[in-house]
Amino acid sequence: MSMFDIWSGILGGFRITASVTLYGLIFAVPFALVFGVAQYLTTGFARFLVTSVIEFWRSSAVVILLFVFYYALPVVGVTLSAMTVGAMVLGLNTAGYASQAVRAGLQALDRGQKEAGQALGLSRAAILLLIELPQALRAMSPTFINLVIQLVKATSLVSLITLTDMTFRAKEIAQVEYDPVPVYLALLLSYFMVCYPIALFGRWVERSVNPVREASRGI
Amino acid sequence: MSSSTAMTAMNLRFQKDSLCMQDPRQNLAVEIDALHKWYGAFHVLKGIDLRVAHGSRIVICGPSGSGKSTLIRCLNGLEAYRQGTIMLDGTRLGEDAVQTALARRQTGMVFQNFNLFPHLSVLANCTLALRRVAGMARTEAEALAHHYLEKVRIPEQAHKYPAQLSGGQQQRVAIARALCMSPRLMLFDEPTSALDPEMIREVLDVMTELAHDGMTMICVTHEMGFAREVADEVVFMDQGSIVEQAVPATFFSAPSHPRARNFLSTLLH
Repeated sequence: MSMFDIWSGILGGFRITASVTLYGLIFAVPFALVFGVAQYLTTGFARFLVTSVIEFWRSSAVVILLFVFYYALPVVGVTLSAMTVGAMVLGLNTAGYASQAVRAGLQALDRGQKEAGQALGLSRAAILLLIELPQALRAMSPTFINLVIQLVKATSLVSLITLTDMTFRAKEIAQVEYDPVPVYLALLLSYFMVCYPIALFGRWVERSVNPVREASRGI
Repeated sequence: MSSSTAMTAMNLRFQKDSLCMQDPRQNLAVEIDALHKWYGAFHVLKGIDLRVAHGSRIVICGPSGSGKSTLIRCLNGLEAYRQGTIMLDGTRLGEDAVQTALARRQTGMVFQNFNLFPHLSVLANCTLALRRVAGMARTEAEALAHHYLEKVRIPEQAHKYPAQLSGGQQQRVAIARALCMSPRLMLFDEPTSALDPEMIREVLDVMTELAHDGMTMICVTHEMGFAREVADEVVFMDQGSIVEQAVPATFFSAPSHPRARNFLSTLLH
């Protein structure tokens, strides 16, 4: 098997890798926003509840969650597809981290921003949506791109719950070929080829959401 | 719509608003009675009494930690107070959320650090509250914003971002932003303290002009030249109390309280 054959075999799993990543983001983005904001705004018992949910997803081992949701839940009658489990577990785990970036971004804002909004008579919701979140999300965009890249790489774990992603394909090919070195080398390259464009995209996003900083640097 | 029709529509709207309320001239702009505030165990305001008539200009000065910023921040509800009352134009502040919101809408605040919204253009900084709080249409809001940007003499900066402006320009935008909401009372919390000396003048000029237009103003500032020129009354605070309150001529020539004398001498030397 030529290097090219190995490689095209691995890329046959790209669709699954990409799907898990995209579906994962569908879980991750709303969760991170809602829970990050909730942790920022709530106090007392409500905050304890919000933090508990975040910590469950953030502090659990992804592999174990995948096994539990895919193999153990059917025992109690809940059957989810491998794609759903993969996207949910990986997405919410990433969202646990991302929620902390959202909260940190909000907390890092100058107190004067909120006060200026209050002094102008804006409601708390308007201050959050129009003043605080736009600034916090911009400041945190490098962190979010980081997490997307991490999510892509973490999708290799779904090969453990029967999904034929790039890693699953590589394992298959390695077993057939009895020669793991070129196969895993090709796999390494494949992930790099997926992730590096995301990093480049991230730099572009950073530049385009911060036109002010760029412009002021020129003065 | 031309900008002058937009302005007329604006004026009509605000006139209608004020007709719905009782005649403001019957009340004092600000009436503070026995105001107390604590930060934990620290007694920061110790029984403040202050009356401010419509159209008057009060300068509050005093050493740092005297409670002057806290006092002015209590006036638009940015700080809660424990005891006493604050009446803004006959409406008690802090009684309930709706009243407080109404009172706050009549008050404009200018901060030491400008607190412009860095992610919005100068124009958007000015129109944000007009559109979201006053519910004004975009063209109308922009016409009004341009009007006030001209008033603070930076109409040409409308499409820039705050980070592209000098400190003095930013503070003038902050003044225009506050004026857009047609406040009856303007609060200034050390508006020139974060500025380079050469930019202080341009901000003070705008404030002086505002005073000449008849705006009710309460300014925490150490700009004694401004106080002398513009203030009807100078209030000197020390350790959470008002220790001296006098017209500028008296305050500067013959301050009666030793701490005020001491404060003035350190400012002059």
